[in-house]
Amino acid sequence: MIIGVCLKQVPASDSRIKIDGSGAGVDASDLKMEINPYDEFALEEALKLKDAKVAKKVIVLTVGGSDSEQRIRDALARGADDAVRLDDAAFAGSDSLGIARILAAAAQKEGVGLILAGKQAIDDDNSQVPAMVAELLGWPQVTVVDKLELDGGSFKAWRQSGGGVRDVVTGSLPAVISADKGMNTPRYAKLRGIMMAKRKKIPVYDAAALGLDPASVGAAGAKVTQVNWSEPPARPPGRILSGEVPSMVKELVTLLRDEAKVL
Amino acid sequence: MYELPAHPAYDALFNPTEEHRMLREMVADFAAREVGPQAEEYDRKAHLNRALFNQVGELGLLGITVPEELGGAGLDAVAAVIVHEELSKFDPGFCLAYLAHSMLFVNNFLHCSNDEQKARFLGKTISGEWVGGMGMTEPDHGTDVLGMTTTAVLDGDHYVLNGTKTYITNGIEGDIFCVYAKTGGKISAFVVEATAPGFSKSAHIPKMGMRASSMSELIFDNCRVPVSNLLGEEGSGLTHMMRNLEIERLALAAMSTGIALRCVHEMVTYAHDRKAFGQSINRFGQIQRYIGESYASTEAARCLVYNVARAVAPDIQNRIGSDAAKLFAAPIGKQVADACMQVLGGAGYCDEYQIERLFRDAKLLEIGGGTIESHQKNLTKDLTRSICR
Ligand SMILES: Cc1cc2nc3c(=O)[nH]c(=O)nc-3n(C[C@H](O)[C@H](O)[C@H](O)COP(=O)(O)OP(=O)(O)OC[C@H]3O[C@@H](n4cnc5c(N)ncnc54)[C@H](O)[C@@H]3O)c2cc1C
Repeated sequence: MIIGVCLKQVPASDSRIKIDGSGAGVDASDLKMEINPYDEFALEEALKLKDAKVAKKVIVLTVGGSDSEQRIRDALARGADDAVRLDDAAFAGSDSLGIARILAAAAQKEGVGLILAGKQAIDDDNSQVPAMVAELLGWPQVTVVDKLELDGGSFKAWRQSGGGVRDVVTGSLPAVISADKGMNTPRYAKLRGIMMAKRKKIPVYDAAALGLDPASVGAAGAKVTQVNWSEPPARPPGRILSGEVPSMVKELVTLLRDEAKVL
Repeated sequence: MYELPAHPAYDALFNPTEEHRMLREMVADFAAREVGPQAEEYDRKAHLNRALFNQVGELGLLGITVPEELGGAGLDAVAAVIVHEELSKFDPGFCLAYLAHSMLFVNNFLHCSNDEQKARFLGKTISGEWVGGMGMTEPDHGTDVLGMTTTAVLDGDHYVLNGTKTYITNGIEGDIFCVYAKTGGKISAFVVEATAPGFSKSAHIPKMGMRASSMSELIFDNCRVPVSNLLGEEGSGLTHMMRNLEIERLALAAMSTGIALRCVHEMVTYAHDRKAFGQSINRFGQIQRYIGESYASTEAARCLVYNVARAVAPDIQNRIGSDAAKLFAAPIGKQVADACMQVLGGAGYCDEYQIERLFRDAKLLEIGGGTIESHQKNLTKDLTRSICR
């Protein structure tokens, strides 16, 4: 089986994000980019399945410009066999559905039997693409998975479903699984992997190569447009309680419950 | 981690190829997640973290300069510099053990061994199964290395070694050493396994810094080493030794820039967060001087080190460059660690911020792999020879 791993580059989680001149995007000029952390779990899970000889090949699927090649090479260095970069002027301005169309087409073209993706990308936090890919392909899907087992043509996936409840979902392949934190510990690239990654060719597929109608993707096909971005409001100053410890504890619990609403 | 602002054009020097950049990211990630958290513990324990060393072996870093067909990564001096710089941001002591193994033993051995010797020793040392080291210094001969008195005398199919080497990094854990000894007045190089009859080690020699690596004497008392362990020809040891010193000096210089990078970072954040007299201490001119000068000297040292690293290779000799790089960079690590400690005040002197450890570690770089005085001596000799022909 071939596993497709959807991989996106995002600004490093410790970056300071600035809004660009248009007010409807991020100024990426001096942002340090990294692999979306949830995609790293997806990649690691795929590599583990390959190590266990359950999968024959791991292929990285990335929608992105040439600036995303560094991240693709990082994934190859960790052990992915191949990668394709999906890039076309017509892809610009894609919303989640557009991206999902591109990824679904690439997965089909590559004969992928299981798609692993991060549960969300930490830049836009939309959490939509994996579900849309599954829908477009007509495949079963499980989201926010932190444990996965494959057995022949079927899978068993564990997910946290809130309130401490765990769902166990079974189904048949092909399928789309989106990965949550805790699924595994992503490995480091090995030096040998880095040397091998350098020699790998990363083919670029455009709309035509993927058999996509340019009008169905990019700004042309987008149902969602981002109109305005703004900085989050400044954080209100912290509050320091005073008085006797027992009364402070009581006050703190009340505040956490009624004001912060975290209890 | 602990990166300083850099224009993309700086990559031409610091990350000249895609592999260099990926190598740096990989080592930086590993260092932050695995090396940093154990540093304080092993500084106290004062020995090598063997498990961490094995992990470094699994990543493939122990054979960084060994060609791919021999099981290494086939990378260059710039790559070696990158690894030493990134590891030293977190644990220079561990990095010294890495250096003694991968540069002083593996890289050295690579260039003076024959195929049969490579087949016997390279695999085990690249994987980290064996820890390696190098024995040059003697109790009575350090800078004056040519005066060494350890001897090797041929006896049938063995050489018999007598003498003592001292200050040998990885001495305690070492399984295999590249050892220099005189054969009929000339220096020859040998591979000595720790199991060789007549070979022994002293106890660990305690030291001020670089405590995450061990150090001991190597004692040769009629130590019998098979003839097949002679590296190169009899009398060719000096050439091997001098050639390897170049990459070793660059690696040591890079350890200093790694320490300096970490310290600049720490002092900038601390001076921003720490308030005195109602304002951040970075508003005080004296603190600004520490920050400004530390940054500028760190970057200057890095530029020299990386520039020279581009011109050090097995087939390029560049003693002038490597001496200059270490002469200039070694004091910078110490000075910047000192400035950092001053900016942090009492916090800098206490263990918690780890600056006192980096400060202790940094001093070694003015001594090990050649004292700064020896670099001044070499530079004067080489420059005079080149300019006043
Ligand atoms: C932590 C540590 C790890 C080490 N690891 C190793 C190792 O793995 N393998 C190994 O072989 N060695 C190792 N060494 C030894 C190191 O290389 C020597 O300490 C160094 O070369 C200096 O020699 P020395 O200590 O004998 O000092 P000396 O040579 O006695 O020098 C004493 C002082 O005299 C100065 N001096 C000497 N000659 C001259 C001159 N001609 N002109 C001007 N000044 C001069 C020196 O610069 C110095 O200031 C290590 C040392 C340390 C501290």
